[in-house]
Amino acid sequence: MGNLRRLVLDVLKPLEPSIEVLVQLLADLEGVDGANISIYEIDRRVENAKVTIEGHDLRYETIAGLIEENGGAIHSIDEVAAGDVLIEDVITPQD
Amino acid sequence: MDNPYERIAQRIDEVREYERIAGFAKIARRALANNSFDGVLTMVGVMTGQYLANVSDPRTVIQVGVAASIAIGVSGLSGAYLAESAERGRELAELERLSLTDLNDTKIGRASRMAVIVVSLVDGLSPLVSSLIVLIPFFIAPLIDNIAISYALSLLIGLLSLFGLGTFLGHISGRSLISYGLRTTAAGIVAVVLNFLLNGRQN
Repeated sequence: MGNLRRLVLDVLKPLEPSIEVLVQLLADLEGVDGANISIYEIDRRVENAKVTIEGHDLRYETIAGLIEENGGAIHSIDEVAAGDVLIEDVITPQD
Repeated sequence: MDNPYERIAQRIDEVREYERIAGFAKIARRALANNSFDGVLTMVGVMTGQYLANVSDPRTVIQVGVAASIAIGVSGLSGAYLAESAERGRELAELERLSLTDLNDTKIGRASRMAVIVVSLVDGLSPLVSSLIVLIPFFIAPLIDNIAISYALSLLIGLLSLFGLGTFLGHISGRSLISYGLRTTAAGIVAVVLNFLLNGRQN
């Protein structure tokens, strides 16, 4: 199967464990080159996070498992990229 | 990973992380101070009562004292377990409702269960141990060979423990150690004096 290079997830997570802990756990996973978490909505007990992970061989099951283990719920997969070259979303006249 | 030290270090990291999630250290610390205080003061009361009742056999003093220690230990353990698990269960349920997920088998669920265990153990063991410390002069009664001295030593140990607990509280609050120590000691003295006034010595 082609190697997964980028994964953008919409995650609802409790405030603890904090994102600075979670981002390091994600970055430590095998096949991951880097991770980013940005918060776009914050509540009393939970927060909505956009989780971006890039690597040379991402394992979706492992990543999802780690997020769930830390109390997060993946609401949607918003962007994926796979293959030898990282392809960005292309702007078309329709956009 | 097979190295036992590494495994212990990993386990400590895990506990630290659970503590960060569930925040039980502060509660445990409060329980430690509060319940040790209860244990010492209860035992100071039991000792005073036995002194006033003219109990002169150290074995009897120990039996009554240990019975009180066990009861207060079980009370601390069970009370804290019930209260803490109810509170944590409610919190976890609320978080599960908000995140629409089952959190039982996650770090958060485990941290919550660990908080219940740690707080109950501290709540149960601290009064048990602290009250037994006050009983020490009766365990070594054959060496002292004078029950009145055992009673006096026991009271002294009780008041010193109260002072120690006070300085611990003072240390936590970052205020004067001596003033906190004197306040907790005063509580012990009040208990003894009230016992003498209300309970009277039997002749």
